[in-house]
Amino acid sequence: MDSQLLNPTSLKSRFTTRFLRALTKINAPNPISSSSPTPREIFQRYRRIKVAADKSMAYSVRSRTTWSRATLSRLRTRSRHRRLASFGPRSSVTTAAVLEKASSHGKENEGGLVVQAGELRELVPGGETMDLCNLLDETAHYIKCLTTQVQVMKTIANLYSLE
Amino acid sequence: MAEVLNRTAAQRQPTWNTRGLNSATEQVGNWFLNPNWNNSMDQSDPFESALSSMVSSPAAASNVPVSGENVMMRELIGKLGNICNSGDASCYSTPLNSPPRLNLSMVNLPNQSTLAPFSADPGFADRAARLSCFSTGGNFGGLNDPLMDSFKLSGNQSVNVNGTQSNQNSPMAGNSGSDKKNTGVSRSSSPENAESGVSKEESSVSQQIPSRNDAGTRKRKSIPRGKAKETPSPAAADDKVASENDESNSKRSKRDGAPAGNGNAKATNDGDEKRSKENSKPPEPPKDYIHVRARRGQATDSHSLAERVRREKISERMKFLQDLVPGCNKVIGKAVMLDEIINYVQSLQRQVEFLSMKLATVNPRMDVNMEALLSKMFQSRGLLPQGIYSMDSSAQAFPFGYQPQQGLPLNNGIPNITETQFSMKTQGFQLPSINGFTDANPQVGSVWEDDLQSIVQMGFGQNQPQSYQGSITTGQVKIEL
Repeated sequence: MDSQLLNPTSLKSRFTTRFLRALTKINAPNPISSSSPTPREIFQRYRRIKVAADKSMAYSVRSRTTWSRATLSRLRTRSRHRRLASFGPRSSVTTAAVLEKASSHGKENEGGLVVQAGELRELVPGGETMDLCNLLDETAHYIKCLTTQVQVMKTIANLYSLE
Repeated sequence: MAEVLNRTAAQRQPTWNTRGLNSATEQVGNWFLNPNWNNSMDQSDPFESALSSMVSSPAAASNVPVSGENVMMRELIGKLGNICNSGDASCYSTPLNSPPRLNLSMVNLPNQSTLAPFSADPGFADRAARLSCFSTGGNFGGLNDPLMDSFKLSGNQSVNVNGTQSNQNSPMAGNSGSDKKNTGVSRSSSPENAESGVSKEESSVSQQIPSRNDAGTRKRKSIPRGKAKETPSPAAADDKVASENDESNSKRSKRDGAPAGNGNAKATNDGDEKRSKENSKPPEPPKDYIHVRARRGQATDSHSLAERVRREKISERMKFLQDLVPGCNKVIGKAVMLDEIINYVQSLQRQVEFLSMKLATVNPRMDVNMEALLSKMFQSRGLLPQGIYSMDSSAQAFPFGYQPQQGLPLNNGIPNITETQFSMKTQGFQLPSINGFTDANPQVGSVWEDDLQSIVQMGFGQNQPQSYQGSITTGQVKIEL
């Protein structure tokens, strides 16, 4: 395990670095640890942290996997949505159309696993356009990255909570 | 390829035209009288010497030097006879008709096992195979002994066994003057010439196979070493699945892999192993196919082959996922395993959400230094100065596996608040997620402990972390750099 952490190029260290940087950025605006941050603030922070976690993980993976690309594009469009709120509905419609078109092809040969495959597609970002074979590949990589993410975040949370 | 052959044939043609024929005629005369054609060959001509060596080797290899060849020869000669009778067109006019190329094929046909010497040229082997196919196709009529002898020697224009385009070869064969046959034999004596001869022959053969195009092309691609017996059966089999590239590829790969002589058994479908790659490549392998060997008793059309490949890929990945997802070992069956995988992914995602909420709620009371330290810790591989001994307490404060339990009560109230007060914008963020978090702890706990340990060790020097059961030191931790 030591070697894993010491390896500066491993997925874990890449993610940790990025995530910590984002975390400091998010926490920076709080000059003083307020006694009781309002739930709204907490929620906002939560959202930002979640986005930062997903983003840093997707960036750590670069564009090697479909799900990372899908996550990054989703995050970007979401940020764009927030800024241009008026355009929100339109782009959502277009994305839905794209998804429908994409999901129609390449999904034969699932046999009796259509239901589960569909569920998996919902879970894994960018899974709508893949056939079962690639979907399983993506799922494996996604699981690996998720576990890394959970590990690091747990560690950090505990480090924080110890303070 | 045909053009290349034609060109080479054309180049070679004048050579033997001028030289070979003349000398050949003389030799033929001698040879015809002499039943032992090996000796009668005039060694001066390189063709002849090569041919004799070639011929002798097959003869030597086969226990029945004469009789073994006889069968094939007879058929060929019979055919040749027909060709001969058709007329005396100048075969020399056509580059494809050069005797040398005919010779070689004829000589090789009778002896399958002796194809080894000629296997150097894959194209040659293909042609030989085709020829042998033709021979066994029964295109040949009766055989006259004298013709057969000459035929044996020359091996020549008998290629036109088909008789379809007998014109070209007829003059050669037609001369009961084994003259031309001899010349053909002599011509092809040298291995190189043999190869070129074969190449020319192939072109001629290809021309002569208008009707058998599919089979021919398939055979041409198929067997580098011509196996006479094999070709008819694969030909028959191939005809059944004429349009299946994959099928032919699978057969091809099977045939290629089979050693010489085992052909028949393996010629039809079922190899023992399933190969995903082609072994020995025919001259023009389609590179964009994944070559699969059909298993015994299984359907061999391209669709089912592709289906099988896909299914195996999927099961391969399912096995891999089984290792990734804990608790999947007991499960058998794709559907249930997929359910498990889905549950696991969902739980992981919920954990991430919960942890991010936790991070949001836990106000970092530490200084910015801490975070800088952490980032530094992860960025650099070096160790931090040993002066940071004060962190040891916190290091020791990480009771592995115990920590999360301690951590939870601290924040337990907060999630409740968040749950009630926040609109449920985030799916999956429910109270059960906490349970999920706790449940997941044992799973990742062991791993996490080690990580934590290593983090501590790395960041704070080589301190022996001691399990610290009990209260967590939540006091001020000052980092002294």
